[in-house]
Amino acid sequence: MRKYTIGLVSVVLLLSLLLSACGGAADDDTFKIGLVTDVGRVNDRSFNQSAWEGVEAAAEALDMPTDIRYIETMDATDYEDNIRQFIQEGYDVIVTVGFALGDVTIRMAQENPDIKFIGVDQFQGEVVPNVAGLIFYEDRAGYLAGVLAANLTESGTIAGVFGTDLVPPVVAFKEGYEAGARAVNPNINIISTYHPGDIGQAFTDPEWGAATAAQAIDQGADVIFGAGGVTGNGALEETATREGLYCIGVDSDQWHTVPGARPCLVSSAMKLITPAVSDLIQMAAAGTFPGGNYFGDAGLAPFHDFAPQIPQALQDELVSIREGLESGAISTGYGQ
Amino acid sequence: MYTWQKVTKFLSRGSVIFTFLLFLLAVIVDQTDMGTVPLRVFVGVSALNFTLRAAVPLMLGAMSGILCERSGIINIGIEGMMLAGAFGAFAVKVQTNAMPLGLSLFLSTLTALLLGGLMAYIHALLSIRYKVDQIIGGTVIIMLAAGLSSYFFNPNWMSVGKFGTIEIPLLSSIPVLGRVLFSNGLITYIALLLVIFLHVMLFHSRWGLRTRAVGEHPRAADTVGINVNRVRYVNTVLGGMVAGLAGAFLVLEAVGQFKEGMTAGRGFIALAAMIFGNWTPVGAFGASILFGYTQALQNELLLAGIVDIPRHFISMLPYVVTIVVVAGIVGRTRPPAAIGKVYESE
Repeated sequence: MRKYTIGLVSVVLLLSLLLSACGGAADDDTFKIGLVTDVGRVNDRSFNQSAWEGVEAAAEALDMPTDIRYIETMDATDYEDNIRQFIQEGYDVIVTVGFALGDVTIRMAQENPDIKFIGVDQFQGEVVPNVAGLIFYEDRAGYLAGVLAANLTESGTIAGVFGTDLVPPVVAFKEGYEAGARAVNPNINIISTYHPGDIGQAFTDPEWGAATAAQAIDQGADVIFGAGGVTGNGALEETATREGLYCIGVDSDQWHTVPGARPCLVSSAMKLITPAVSDLIQMAAAGTFPGGNYFGDAGLAPFHDFAPQIPQALQDELVSIREGLESGAISTGYGQ
Repeated sequence: MYTWQKVTKFLSRGSVIFTFLLFLLAVIVDQTDMGTVPLRVFVGVSALNFTLRAAVPLMLGAMSGILCERSGIINIGIEGMMLAGAFGAFAVKVQTNAMPLGLSLFLSTLTALLLGGLMAYIHALLSIRYKVDQIIGGTVIIMLAAGLSSYFFNPNWMSVGKFGTIEIPLLSSIPVLGRVLFSNGLITYIALLLVIFLHVMLFHSRWGLRTRAVGEHPRAADTVGINVNRVRYVNTVLGGMVAGLAGAFLVLEAVGQFKEGMTAGRGFIALAAMIFGNWTPVGAFGASILFGYTQALQNELLLAGIVDIPRHFISMLPYVVTIVVVAGIVGRTRPPAAIGKVYESE
């Protein structure tokens, strides 16, 4: 008898799970925006979170009823299924976060020409009218971080802990960082490495990030640039436990996203994903959606508590270098 | 019995000699001009520090396994106990962020020990009272910990602060040795001391003799008045607490944050280290160091950028070494005789 009761209860539970999955459909005049994360959580304090904040900002700015949802990708094999869920439920705009979703995003867009797709970090080789590839000059932000690092170091050794070279934006950060540092001091010793694993673990391995930062510190590095999602955050928090070292964050202003890194965090090599995603969604709503590549802003985050330690001359120099990078007077050498 | 002791002695002595030679080379490289780039990669201070850091969770996991298995309870659930400890430590650390760092870390570590112990108690209950197959029981522990920790984990939680480095006065100024062994976090010291403590206890104390008797020949132990199942309960729970400490190391000393599934197979590598070390603490310590060293080497090669081979081959290094070691040497180890067998007194 007891067995039957347990069986019955589990069937009821299963059914309720199934039912809750098909929620009520929204009205047709609601502007529906869906976001599919790269492997990881939507509040990863890194690029997934920045993109989602952009969706939230757009929903607030738009003068119409909106419905915003996200799906967190748990495994790299689920990208397509997750995007399809939004397609089937008639979403107007679908944001896919991360280089790894690039191919599947284009394929889905070609199958569904009425839906607008925003691909964060997805370079578009050919223009697909309903896909905007949101890309950034990461090499410029990295270059500024390199200039800052080379000016801060006392040991003459700086380090970088990076996600993976399978993702071009990460390579751009690294190349820019090294070029910027060498522009200040051609003889500077730069030790930097990518995560040895595949794309699925490279951004979600804080222990490797922390251990690698410790290793670089043992080899004399006193400025650590952590660029690679949660992996990079591990490097920042490790650096924060040591005295007298500096660290530089990535993607967003990590002063806010990784409070544990504040003792060492001088700045972050930012790409402003949030405003760019918000702008693109508003353009989609207004019918002025740009297909092809769309460049967002990239630069250094504020110095926060470290501002008094950064000489005014250096702060001014960073501003003028940024202008030089934008005008083309200074080249990072990346992609040439 | 005789050959087993010989193998044990050989492995223990081998790992001690290996460690000693590594240090000797490291001192030479650090103190002289011989430290050209390739040598530094192999025995630089940073490589040794990385080795120790990667080895600590492995050696704690292996000690956990030894505690359980020497008394006859198979423990493949180390991974789960570690994960439970890691999650517990993180949850409490987040709740106590406002307290002084020391107190907060103390409470978090305590929780890790308790949760690890609790998971082990469940395993012991399944194995001893309900006579569940111990491999299945261990799998249940792993799945339980993985499921519960990701269910209760709130990604918004943010812990602030972790165990910092404690420099032991005088000792930490010894070249190389000081920077590697005597300037670490608290849990690393505890792990190193635990290896020695457990070795002495296991082979030179009344408790150790009883544990080994229960694991080798429970009937004989019962005949002389040892409560077999009580010894097994106590040892399994102690083992769980040690595994919980490994979890605390990951969260409170290594990373500072928790991530779903963050033990990432370390419990299983610890199990391999325990078997490779032939169920002896010093042997398992040597095996953990070896596994940690392969990871360090991989990273050193990547950092130095001196080898011009695709990094994917370098990434294979830890796995290749593990396969070679396990296939070549583990075949000759000998587990406790009564392992995995339910004991019922007559």
